[in-house]
Amino acid sequence: MSNEPESRVGSLQRSGFVVRKERLYGRLIAACAVLTILITVGIILALSGRALSFWSQISPIAFFTGTSWSPVIANDYGVLPLVSGTLIVTVFSALIALPIGLAAAIYLSEYASDTARSILKPALEILAGVPTVIYGYMALVYVTPLIDGFLPFSVQLIPAGMPILPEFTLVMPSLGTFNALSASIVVGIMIIPMVSSISEDALSAVPDSLRQGAYGLGSTKFDVSTKVVVPSATSGIVASYVLALSRAIGETMAVTMAMGMSPQLPYFPNVLRNLAESGQTITAAMVQIAGADSYGSGPTYEAMFALGLTLFAITLTMNILAEAVRRRFREEY
Amino acid sequence: MATDSAPGDELGRSRALRFQQLKGQLFEVGLVAATLVGIVSLLVLFAYISNDAFQPGAASPVWFLTYFGTLVGPTAAFTLYARRRPAVRTANATAFAAVFGGLLLSVVTYAVVDALSPYDVFLYVVFASLPPGLVLAYDRTTDDWAYTGPAIPVSILVGIGLAVLLDGPISGPLGIAAEWIMYFGLTTVPAGLLIGWLTAARRGRRAGGVAGGVVAGGGLAVAVASIAVGVAASLPVVLFSAFVVPTGYVIARSFRTNPEGRVGLAGPFVIIGGTLLGAAVVGQFGIDNPDTFLTPTLLLESWDGLTASNAGVYPQIVGSIIIVGFMAVLAFPVGIGAAVYLEEYAPDTGWGGRLATVLEVNISNLAGVPSVVYGLLGLALFRRTLGFGTGVVVSAAGTLGLLILPIVIVSTQEALRSVPDDLRQGSYGMGASRWQTLREVVLPEAIPGTLTGTILALARAIGETAPLVIIAVATTTYSPPSGLFSSATALSLQVFAAAANAKPEFRHGVVPAAAVVLLVLMLLMNATAIVIRNKYGREN
Repeated sequence: MSNEPESRVGSLQRSGFVVRKERLYGRLIAACAVLTILITVGIILALSGRALSFWSQISPIAFFTGTSWSPVIANDYGVLPLVSGTLIVTVFSALIALPIGLAAAIYLSEYASDTARSILKPALEILAGVPTVIYGYMALVYVTPLIDGFLPFSVQLIPAGMPILPEFTLVMPSLGTFNALSASIVVGIMIIPMVSSISEDALSAVPDSLRQGAYGLGSTKFDVSTKVVVPSATSGIVASYVLALSRAIGETMAVTMAMGMSPQLPYFPNVLRNLAESGQTITAAMVQIAGADSYGSGPTYEAMFALGLTLFAITLTMNILAEAVRRRFREEY
Repeated sequence: MATDSAPGDELGRSRALRFQQLKGQLFEVGLVAATLVGIVSLLVLFAYISNDAFQPGAASPVWFLTYFGTLVGPTAAFTLYARRRPAVRTANATAFAAVFGGLLLSVVTYAVVDALSPYDVFLYVVFASLPPGLVLAYDRTTDDWAYTGPAIPVSILVGIGLAVLLDGPISGPLGIAAEWIMYFGLTTVPAGLLIGWLTAARRGRRAGGVAGGVVAGGGLAVAVASIAVGVAASLPVVLFSAFVVPTGYVIARSFRTNPEGRVGLAGPFVIIGGTLLGAAVVGQFGIDNPDTFLTPTLLLESWDGLTASNAGVYPQIVGSIIIVGFMAVLAFPVGIGAAVYLEEYAPDTGWGGRLATVLEVNISNLAGVPSVVYGLLGLALFRRTLGFGTGVVVSAAGTLGLLILPIVIVSTQEALRSVPDDLRQGSYGMGASRWQTLREVVLPEAIPGTLTGTILALARAIGETAPLVIIAVATTTYSPPSGLFSSATALSLQVFAAAANAKPEFRHGVVPAAAVVLLVLMLLMNATAIVIRNKYGREN
């Protein structure tokens, strides 16, 4: 914060007032920057105050290990069903977004012409720019019926009469009005650009000399892309994956609208049933509590802050992790 | 001959190599498919939404033929003509921006001022703009008056404070004046001053005065004419000053400075004329229109949860615009200030350097915090701590402002970083101080980049729903917010609330239409940002 260069030059003609004025402006601007720290502090204070008050009524152990979430009817505050809902959406949206996003990043960085890139990049960004409430609406009203047309189906994975293994048929039932599949699909679509843009940055940062060297050894473009460029950019790609997952975990409106509000633990071993049925994520539970004003300031209302703190802790950890991966394993060229 | 090409042929025919080639081609096809799959599925979903919103199936084929003949055909022909003539293309782009930008500006101005009450807005604008005007005028009369910079924001604050104090005694007598006079003061006077100033800069003071006078006289004439016809004069006055005058100025200027591209100026009028002509033909011959839900009722009326044909989202649209506008006023100065500190002021070493690192890490983490969590912060801060009412404009704008702050900061930082260091050094070399360099050299260079980023942040904010749900903004109100402390609602919230309505004419009609309005608002902002980026981004 030293103003020395100016004050030295300024001493030739500038009055003390001008110097003080400059210093004041500098402080005002620094205050703007420091405000961002206050936001973080504010989030932590706002969340932890009420969350602690909640955990003084409902024990944290019951909260984090409870298997039933039914705040109003049964006074059950077990968060596991909500965590399972969040995980289901995160995992299935990741199955969509991670490979597609990486493939798009490879195409944009290695294959696409300048014209194609100048069109496709903004187009991909639009995917993340569409309001999530519209994604939720589309999942509820268009995606669900569209996919339901192909259902139900079943695949017999382990036929009868095998030694040791029991007979097992994987059944995908028809979709309910609210289901995790449509929510996962739209969340997957909306986090594609997160993966593709950060991964593309990482891929483009790989120096051309590595590519030229590989070509010189007789590699094909396919080999250069998959065996040289992608491995060199692993840290950036992993960081983009973690950030995209964090975004999927925090996503709210689409999952609230498309997945419904019935928290439940996952079904095993028939995992596909989880997709066909309704569920509830952590974020959707918060929206539900906030939507019902009548809860006032009882434990249910404070549970919203406990959920928020949990969510904040999860996403913050993932964001820090992504940054750490990017810094730690960044290849120095 | 045969021996010469033999090794090559062998290589070419080698099965392994052909397999390699095929693998490479398949891989590339797969990559293209992956890049497109998200975009295509979104387009398919958009097609579903617009099909439900516009119901084109109800229109007769003649309707499509009519509009093809009057609108699509001429526009396509015009585009083809303009494509290979750069001058025409430039003029066309200018005309498009001027016509539709002006139209949008005037409509938004009228809707917002109308919601907030023209008398109040007039009072506050006058009190907030006169004192800095006086300061600037005094500054002109004296040399090197160092107090001007700090005096301007202080004088604005004093003016607003005075307006708050004098609101009661003044608004009574002010209320006697006709409404259009307020709009005249709010739009025609600034338009006249702007045109006068622009003209004076090029053609001297006298021409500037005449131009400003012509604008003011035109505004008066429009008002008198509409009163004579028996129409409320407010909207015509706004349309004249915020649409006709600036658009006319820009087009006239382009007409003079770009003589080869004059034809391009007709672009927007081809579209407007084609639409009007098509509507006239359709009306004249009684051709079946599409059974669209995107009607004037939807855009101009308030919500009706029972009858789809009566349901409108006017309060929601205006609420969204007012919330996002006030959010911009709150968040942009802070965001730009923080970015300027990090890029221009923060030292690299010592405690200051450490603070800057912490700030950078903190900002990137804030950008990753889920929006619901910001909702909880807004709830605790605005409702619990500051005690604002439930779901008022200030709370909503403040919450969204906190949410977009990291986006604004990061994009402004990028814009500042792209300003070449030579410019700063040159400015310092001329004896300018750090602040003067910032104000006169760095910030003007960084404006396009900053604008792009901040408009994208606005587009994000207008679609945000979750934080508004958490701070309990009402999903439906029946009038737009009348002030900063009055309760508001947003378009995105109405889409969320109405999606649960199972009636088919809502689910496959009104709600998609409202979603189309929201998407159009968002895409307009994105397009503006991209246009600004493409226009100014390439020059560096």
